[in-house]
Amino acid sequence: MKVLIVDDSKPIFLMVSQMLTELGHESVWAENGQDAVEKVKENPDLGLVLLDWNMPVMDGLQFLQKNEGEGFCEAPIVMMTTENKPEKIQQALKHGASDYIMKPFTADIIENKIELVCD
Amino acid sequence: MIRPEVYKFFADYVFGHTGISYKEQDYYRLDGRFNTLIKKFELKDVEELYRLYVQKITPEMHQVLIDLCTNNETYFMRDLKPFKGFAKEGMEYLKEEFPTSFSYQIWSAACSTGQEPLSLLMATEAFGQEGDAAKLRVEASDISANALDKAKKGLYTGLEVQRGLPANLLIKYFSQVEDNWQIDPKLLTRIHFKSFNLLNDPFPKNHYHVIFCRNVLIYQDIENKKKILDKLCQALKIGGLLFMGAGESLIGVDLPMEQKQLGKAFCYRRKS
Repeated sequence: MKVLIVDDSKPIFLMVSQMLTELGHESVWAENGQDAVEKVKENPDLGLVLLDWNMPVMDGLQFLQKNEGEGFCEAPIVMMTTENKPEKIQQALKHGASDYIMKPFTADIIENKIELVCD
Repeated sequence: MIRPEVYKFFADYVFGHTGISYKEQDYYRLDGRFNTLIKKFELKDVEELYRLYVQKITPEMHQVLIDLCTNNETYFMRDLKPFKGFAKEGMEYLKEEFPTSFSYQIWSAACSTGQEPLSLLMATEAFGQEGDAAKLRVEASDISANALDKAKKGLYTGLEVQRGLPANLLIKYFSQVEDNWQIDPKLLTRIHFKSFNLLNDPFPKNHYHVIFCRNVLIYQDIENKKKILDKLCQALKIGGLLFMGAGESLIGVDLPMEQKQLGKAFCYRRKS
Protein backbone atom coordinates (compact mmCIF):
# COMPACT_ATOMS: atom_id res chain seq x y z
CA MET A 1 0.00 0.00 0.00
CA LYS A 2 1.18 3.54 -0.75
CA VAL A 3 1.07 5.88 2.26
CA LEU A 4 1.38 9.68 2.15
CA ILE A 5 3.20 11.01 5.21
CA VAL A 6 2.46 14.70 5.75
CA ASP A 7 4.90 16.18 8.26
CA ASP A 8 7.18 19.22 8.19
CA SER A 9 9.89 17.26 9.99
CA LYS A 10 12.06 15.20 7.67
CA PRO A 11 13.44 13.04 10.56
CA ILE A 12 9.87 12.09 11.45
CA PHE A 13 9.09 11.31 7.83
CA LEU A 14 12.18 9.09 7.65
CA MET A 15 11.31 7.32 10.91
CA VAL A 16 7.69 6.65 9.92
CA SER A 17 8.74 5.70 6.41
CA GLN A 18 11.14 3.12 7.87
CA MET A 19 8.35 1.71 10.06
CA LEU A 20 6.06 1.47 7.04
CA THR A 21 8.73 -0.20 4.92
CA GLU A 22 9.10 -2.87 7.62
CA LEU A 23 5.33 -3.36 7.49
CA GLY A 24 5.53 -3.80 3.71
CA HIS A 25 4.27 -0.37 2.65
CA GLU A 26 5.62 2.34 0.37
CA SER A 27 5.86 6.00 1.46
CA VAL A 28 5.49 9.40 -0.18
CA TRP A 29 6.40 12.62 1.66
CA ALA A 30 4.60 15.96 1.78
CA GLU A 31 6.06 18.80 3.87
CA ASN A 32 2.79 20.52 4.69
CA GLY A 33 -0.93 20.50 3.93
CA GLN A 34 -0.56 22.45 0.67
CA ASP A 35 2.14 20.08 -0.57
CA ALA A 36 -0.10 17.18 0.47
CA VAL A 37 -2.94 18.44 -1.73
CA GLU A 38 -0.58 18.20 -4.72
CA LYS A 39 0.78 14.80 -3.67
CA VAL A 40 -2.75 13.40 -3.29
CA LYS A 41 -3.56 14.52 -6.83
CA GLU A 42 -0.29 13.09 -8.20
CA ASN A 43 -0.86 9.74 -6.45
CA PRO A 44 -4.38 8.46 -7.08
CA ASP A 45 -3.36 5.02 -5.78
CA LEU A 46 -2.81 6.22 -2.19
CA GLY A 47 -4.12 3.80 0.43
CA LEU A 48 -3.65 6.01 3.49
CA VAL A 49 -2.65 9.53 4.58
CA LEU A 50 -0.81 10.09 7.87
CA LEU A 51 -1.28 13.76 8.70
CA ASP A 52 0.55 16.00 11.18
CA TRP A 53 -1.43 18.83 12.77
CA ASN A 54 1.03 21.70 13.28
CA MET A 55 2.75 22.60 10.02
CA PRO A 56 3.56 25.85 8.16
CA VAL A 57 1.65 27.02 5.04
CA MET A 58 -1.35 24.73 5.58
CA ASP A 59 -1.81 22.77 8.80
CA GLY A 60 -3.45 19.39 9.22
CA LEU A 61 -6.85 20.72 10.27
CA GLN A 62 -6.92 23.09 7.26
CA PHE A 63 -6.10 20.13 5.01
CA LEU A 64 -9.02 18.17 6.50
CA GLN A 65 -11.35 21.13 6.05
CA LYS A 66 -10.26 21.66 2.46
CA ASN A 67 -10.87 17.98 1.76
CA GLU A 68 -14.27 18.20 3.45
CA GLY A 69 -15.26 20.89 0.97
CA GLU A 70 -13.60 19.48 -2.13
CA GLY A 71 -13.37 15.74 -1.51
CA PHE A 72 -10.11 15.30 -3.43
CA CYS A 73 -8.71 12.61 -1.12
CA GLU A 74 -10.39 9.21 -1.17
CA ALA A 75 -7.82 7.48 1.05
CA PRO A 76 -8.54 7.34 4.79
CA ILE A 77 -6.75 10.08 6.73
CA VAL A 78 -5.20 9.35 10.12
CA MET A 79 -3.88 12.24 12.19
CA MET A 80 -0.36 11.74 13.58
CA THR A 81 0.45 14.56 15.96
CA THR A 82 1.66 15.72 19.36
CA GLU A 83 -1.78 17.28 19.95
CA ASN A 84 -3.28 14.88 22.47
CA LYS A 85 -6.28 16.63 23.98
CA PRO A 86 -9.66 14.89 23.61
CA GLU A 87 -11.17 18.06 22.09
CA LYS A 88 -8.50 18.05 19.36
CA ILE A 89 -9.18 14.39 18.61
CA GLN A 90 -12.90 15.15 18.48
CA GLN A 91 -12.28 18.09 16.14
CA ALA A 92 -10.16 16.03 13.73
CA LEU A 93 -12.73 13.19 13.62
CA LYS A 94 -15.51 15.71 13.05
CA HIS A 95 -13.68 17.08 10.01
CA GLY A 96 -13.14 13.70 8.42
CA ALA A 97 -10.11 12.04 10.01
CA SER A 98 -10.69 8.27 10.20
CA ASP A 99 -8.48 7.81 13.22
CA TYR A 100 -5.83 9.48 15.34
CA ILE A 101 -2.28 8.69 16.41
CA MET A 102 -0.71 10.65 19.25
CA LYS A 103 3.05 11.14 19.27
CA PRO A 104 5.02 9.37 20.62
CA PHE A 105 3.94 6.12 19.02
CA THR A 106 5.43 2.79 18.00
CA ALA A 107 5.38 0.77 14.78
CA ASP A 108 2.75 -1.60 16.15
CA ILE A 109 0.40 1.34 16.76
CA ILE A 110 0.69 2.30 13.09
CA GLU A 111 0.09 -1.35 12.18
CA ASN A 112 -3.03 -1.46 14.40
CA LYS A 113 -4.39 1.76 12.94
CA ILE A 114 -3.84 0.53 9.37
CA GLU A 115 -5.77 -2.62 10.28
CA LEU A 116 -8.58 -0.51 11.75
CA VAL A 117 -9.03 2.02 8.97
CA CYS A 118 -8.13 -0.10 5.95
CA ASP A 119 -10.10 -3.23 6.95
CA MET B 1 27.30 -18.30 34.83
CA ILE B 2 24.01 -19.55 36.21
CA ARG B 3 23.97 -23.23 37.13
CA PRO B 4 21.51 -25.47 35.25
CA GLU B 5 19.97 -26.69 38.52
CA VAL B 6 19.14 -23.08 39.47
CA TYR B 7 17.34 -22.57 36.16
CA LYS B 8 15.60 -25.91 36.55
CA PHE B 9 14.41 -25.12 40.08
CA PHE B 10 12.69 -21.89 39.01
CA ALA B 11 11.43 -23.34 35.70
CA ASP B 12 9.87 -26.30 37.55
CA TYR B 13 8.27 -24.03 40.15
CA VAL B 14 6.71 -21.77 37.53
CA PHE B 15 5.53 -24.76 35.50
CA GLY B 16 3.98 -26.39 38.55
CA HIS B 17 1.99 -23.29 39.45
CA THR B 18 1.07 -21.85 36.06
CA GLY B 19 1.76 -24.50 33.44
CA ILE B 20 4.02 -22.01 31.67
CA SER B 21 6.81 -24.12 30.31
CA TYR B 22 10.45 -22.97 30.16
CA LYS B 23 12.41 -25.63 28.31
CA GLU B 24 16.20 -25.78 28.53
CA GLN B 25 16.61 -23.74 25.36
CA ASP B 26 14.34 -21.07 26.89
CA TYR B 27 16.22 -20.80 30.19
CA TYR B 28 17.92 -17.56 29.09
CA ARG B 29 14.48 -15.90 29.25
CA LEU B 30 14.64 -16.26 33.03
CA ASP B 31 17.85 -14.17 33.31
CA GLY B 32 16.10 -10.77 33.25
CA ARG B 33 13.52 -12.05 35.71
CA PHE B 34 16.27 -13.19 38.09
CA ASN B 35 17.78 -9.69 37.95
CA THR B 36 14.43 -8.13 38.83
CA LEU B 37 14.01 -10.52 41.76
CA ILE B 38 17.57 -9.81 42.97
CA LYS B 39 16.84 -6.07 43.00
CA LYS B 40 13.42 -6.52 44.55
CA PHE B 41 14.73 -8.57 47.48
CA GLU B 42 18.04 -6.64 47.66
CA LEU B 43 20.22 -9.68 47.14
CA LYS B 44 23.81 -10.11 45.90
CA ASP B 45 23.41 -12.56 43.05
CA VAL B 46 21.44 -15.46 41.58
CA GLU B 47 22.96 -17.95 44.00
CA GLU B 48 21.63 -15.95 46.95
CA LEU B 49 18.24 -15.75 45.23
CA TYR B 50 18.27 -19.50 44.70
CA ARG B 51 19.13 -20.17 48.37
CA LEU B 52 16.31 -17.84 49.46
CA TYR B 53 13.71 -19.60 47.32
CA VAL B 54 14.95 -23.11 48.10
CA GLN B 55 14.72 -22.39 51.83
CA LYS B 56 11.13 -21.12 51.93
CA ILE B 57 8.78 -19.47 49.46
CA THR B 58 6.56 -16.91 51.17
CA PRO B 59 3.26 -15.85 49.55
CA GLU B 60 4.92 -12.56 48.52
CA MET B 61 7.90 -14.37 46.93
CA HIS B 62 5.48 -16.68 45.13
CA GLN B 63 3.38 -13.83 43.72
CA VAL B 64 6.37 -11.74 42.61
CA LEU B 65 7.81 -14.72 40.74
CA ILE B 66 4.49 -15.61 39.11
CA ASP B 67 3.85 -11.99 38.12
CA LEU B 68 7.26 -11.81 36.49
CA CYS B 69 6.89 -15.05 34.59
CA THR B 70 3.41 -14.46 33.17
CA ASN B 71 3.29 -12.66 29.88
CA ASN B 72 0.93 -9.70 30.19
CA GLU B 73 1.17 -8.70 26.55
CA THR B 74 -2.23 -7.49 25.43
CA TYR B 75 -3.96 -4.58 23.78
CA PHE B 76 -7.40 -3.20 23.10
CA MET B 77 -9.41 -4.97 20.36
CA ARG B 78 -6.56 -7.44 19.87
CA ASP B 79 -6.97 -9.01 16.40
CA LEU B 80 -10.25 -7.03 16.08
CA LYS B 81 -12.18 -9.80 14.24
CA PRO B 82 -13.22 -11.74 17.39
CA PHE B 83 -14.64 -8.58 18.92
CA LYS B 84 -16.57 -7.54 15.83
CA GLY B 85 -17.71 -11.13 15.27
CA PHE B 86 -18.86 -11.46 18.86
CA ALA B 87 -20.61 -8.08 18.91
CA LYS B 88 -22.57 -8.61 15.70
CA GLU B 89 -23.08 -12.27 14.73
CA GLY B 90 -22.17 -13.63 18.18
CA MET B 91 -24.88 -11.68 19.97
CA GLU B 92 -27.45 -12.73 17.36
CA TYR B 93 -26.38 -16.35 17.81
CA LEU B 94 -26.75 -16.12 21.60
CA LYS B 95 -30.27 -14.71 21.28
CA GLU B 96 -31.31 -17.63 19.03
CA GLU B 97 -29.46 -20.34 20.95
CA PHE B 98 -30.59 -19.17 24.39
CA PRO B 99 -34.00 -17.61 23.71
CA THR B 100 -35.03 -17.57 27.36
CA SER B 101 -31.87 -15.87 28.62
CA PHE B 102 -32.14 -12.19 29.43
CA SER B 103 -28.43 -11.87 30.15
CA TYR B 104 -25.29 -13.71 29.11
CA GLN B 105 -22.42 -14.88 31.29
CA ILE B 106 -19.12 -13.93 29.67
CA TRP B 107 -15.69 -14.89 30.99
CA SER B 108 -12.44 -13.29 29.96
CA ALA B 109 -10.32 -16.08 31.41
CA ALA B 110 -6.89 -14.49 31.09
CA CYS B 111 -7.69 -10.81 31.05
CA SER B 112 -4.20 -9.55 31.90
CA THR B 113 -4.42 -5.76 32.41
CA GLY B 114 -8.10 -5.57 31.45
CA GLN B 115 -8.08 -4.60 27.78
CA GLU B 116 -9.96 -7.73 26.63
CA PRO B 117 -13.10 -7.44 28.82
CA LEU B 118 -13.23 -3.67 28.23
CA SER B 119 -12.93 -4.26 24.48
CA LEU B 120 -15.80 -6.76 24.64
CA LEU B 121 -18.09 -4.18 26.23
CA MET B 122 -16.98 -1.33 23.98
CA ALA B 123 -17.23 -3.46 20.83
CA THR B 124 -20.71 -4.67 21.75
CA GLU B 125 -21.87 -1.09 22.23
CA ALA B 126 -20.10 0.12 19.07
CA PHE B 127 -20.84 -2.74 16.65
CA GLY B 128 -23.79 -4.59 18.21
CA GLN B 129 -27.44 -3.69 18.51
CA GLU B 130 -28.63 -1.13 21.01
CA GLY B 131 -29.08 -2.63 24.44
CA ASP B 132 -26.93 -5.71 23.74
CA ALA B 133 -24.00 -4.61 25.89
CA ALA B 134 -26.32 -4.24 28.90
CA LYS B 135 -27.10 -7.97 28.65
CA LEU B 136 -23.49 -8.99 29.24
CA ARG B 137 -22.40 -10.11 32.70
CA VAL B 138 -18.63 -10.00 32.42
CA GLU B 139 -16.18 -11.82 34.66
CA ALA B 140 -12.48 -11.30 34.08
CA SER B 141 -9.66 -13.22 35.69
CA ASP B 142 -5.91 -13.53 35.63
CA ILE B 143 -3.20 -15.31 37.56
CA SER B 144 -1.07 -12.17 37.92
CA ALA B 145 -1.90 -9.92 40.88
CA ASN B 146 -0.04 -7.00 39.29
CA ALA B 147 -2.00 -7.32 36.06
CA LEU B 148 -5.31 -7.50 37.94
CA ASP B 149 -4.44 -4.44 40.04
CA LYS B 150 -3.87 -2.46 36.88
CA ALA B 151 -7.03 -3.86 35.29
CA LYS B 152 -9.11 -2.79 38.29
CA LYS B 153 -7.71 0.77 38.11
CA GLY B 154 -8.49 1.11 34.40
CA LEU B 155 -5.75 3.71 33.92
CA TYR B 156 -3.70 3.34 30.74
CA THR B 157 -0.81 5.19 29.10
CA GLY B 158 -1.07 7.02 25.79
CA LEU B 159 0.72 4.14 24.08
CA GLU B 160 -1.60 1.53 25.62
CA VAL B 161 -4.82 3.26 24.59
CA GLN B 162 -3.56 3.68 21.05
CA ARG B 163 -2.76 0.02 20.52
CA GLY B 164 -5.84 -1.23 18.72
CA LEU B 165 -8.37 1.24 20.07
CA PRO B 166 -10.08 3.48 17.48
CA ALA B 167 -9.93 7.18 18.39
CA ASN B 168 -13.72 7.53 18.45
CA LEU B 169 -13.90 4.90 21.21
CA LEU B 170 -10.99 6.53 23.04
CA ILE B 171 -12.80 9.85 23.36
CA LYS B 172 -16.12 8.16 24.06
CA TYR B 173 -14.98 5.95 26.93
CA PHE B 174 -11.82 7.53 28.36
CA SER B 175 -10.98 10.79 30.07
CA GLN B 176 -7.50 12.23 30.06
CA VAL B 177 -5.65 12.32 33.37
CA GLU B 178 -2.39 14.20 32.74
CA ASP B 179 -0.63 11.98 30.18
CA ASN B 180 -2.73 8.90 30.96
CA TRP B 181 -6.27 7.85 30.11
CA GLN B 182 -8.90 6.66 32.58
CA ILE B 183 -11.65 4.32 31.43
CA ASP B 184 -15.21 5.42 32.20
CA PRO B 185 -15.99 4.00 35.69
CA LYS B 186 -19.47 3.03 34.45
CA LEU B 187 -17.83 0.55 32.09
CA LEU B 188 -15.18 -0.62 34.52
CA THR B 189 -17.62 -1.36 37.33
CA ARG B 190 -19.54 -3.68 35.01
CA ILE B 191 -16.62 -6.11 35.06
CA HIS B 192 -16.14 -8.46 38.00
CA PHE B 193 -12.39 -9.03 38.32
CA LYS B 194 -10.97 -12.00 40.20
CA SER B 195 -7.73 -13.90 40.65
CA PHE B 196 -7.82 -17.28 38.93
CA ASN B 197 -5.32 -20.00 38.09
CA LEU B 198 -6.45 -21.84 34.95
CA LEU B 199 -4.30 -24.83 35.76
CA ASN B 200 -5.19 -25.46 39.38
CA ASP B 201 -8.40 -23.63 40.38
CA PRO B 202 -11.78 -25.41 40.13
CA PHE B 203 -13.93 -24.27 37.22
CA PRO B 204 -17.71 -23.80 37.41
CA LYS B 205 -19.67 -26.23 35.21
CA ASN B 206 -22.22 -25.38 32.48
CA HIS B 207 -22.05 -21.75 33.53
CA TYR B 208 -20.82 -19.48 30.74
CA HIS B 209 -22.41 -18.52 27.44
CA VAL B 210 -19.06 -17.30 26.11
CA ILE B 211 -15.45 -17.71 27.19
CA PHE B 212 -12.56 -15.74 25.80
CA CYS B 213 -9.29 -17.56 26.52
CA ARG B 214 -6.83 -16.15 24.05
CA ASN B 215 -3.07 -16.38 23.74
CA VAL B 216 -2.69 -18.39 26.92
CA LEU B 217 -2.55 -21.99 25.80
CA ILE B 218 0.39 -21.36 23.48
CA TYR B 219 2.56 -21.15 26.60
CA GLN B 220 1.34 -24.52 27.92
CA ASP B 221 2.61 -27.99 27.10
CA ILE B 222 0.19 -30.32 25.35
CA GLU B 223 -0.87 -32.13 28.52
CA ASN B 224 -1.81 -28.93 30.36
CA LYS B 225 -3.38 -27.50 27.23
CA LYS B 226 -5.71 -30.52 27.04
CA LYS B 227 -6.46 -30.29 30.76
CA ILE B 228 -7.38 -26.58 30.59
CA LEU B 229 -9.38 -26.97 27.38
CA ASP B 230 -11.36 -29.83 28.88
CA LYS B 231 -12.25 -27.63 31.87
CA LEU B 232 -13.08 -24.65 29.66
CA CYS B 233 -15.39 -26.85 27.59
CA GLN B 234 -17.21 -28.07 30.69
CA ALA B 235 -17.45 -24.52 32.04
CA LEU B 236 -19.45 -23.54 28.95
CA LYS B 237 -23.16 -24.14 28.68
CA ILE B 238 -24.08 -26.49 25.84
CA GLY B 239 -24.23 -24.20 22.83
CA GLY B 240 -21.75 -21.81 24.45
CA LEU B 241 -18.81 -20.35 22.56
CA LEU B 242 -15.06 -20.44 23.15
CA PHE B 243 -12.85 -17.80 21.54
CA MET B 244 -9.16 -18.65 21.33
CA GLY B 245 -6.12 -16.69 20.09
CA ALA B 246 -5.35 -16.25 16.40
CA GLY B 247 -2.68 -18.96 16.46
CA GLU B 248 -4.55 -21.40 18.70
CA SER B 249 -6.92 -24.23 17.81
CA LEU B 250 -8.45 -27.46 19.10
CA ILE B 251 -6.53 -29.54 16.57
CA GLY B 252 -5.34 -32.70 18.30
CA VAL B 253 -7.72 -32.24 21.23
CA ASP B 254 -10.75 -34.53 21.46
CA LEU B 255 -13.63 -32.45 22.82
CA PRO B 256 -17.35 -32.18 21.98
CA MET B 257 -16.81 -28.86 20.24
CA GLU B 258 -17.21 -27.71 16.66
CA GLN B 259 -15.75 -24.77 14.83
CA LYS B 260 -18.13 -21.91 14.20
CA GLN B 261 -17.72 -18.82 12.07
CA LEU B 262 -19.08 -15.47 13.26
CA GLY B 263 -18.49 -12.83 10.61
CA LYS B 264 -14.77 -12.96 9.96
CA ALA B 265 -14.05 -14.57 13.33
CA PHE B 266 -13.74 -18.24 14.20
CA CYS B 267 -14.62 -19.75 17.55
CA TYR B 268 -15.68 -23.13 18.97
CA ARG B 269 -19.20 -24.14 19.99
CA ARG B 270 -19.85 -26.71 22.71
CA LYS B 271 -22.02 -29.45 21.12
CA SER B 272 -22.84 -31.65 24.09
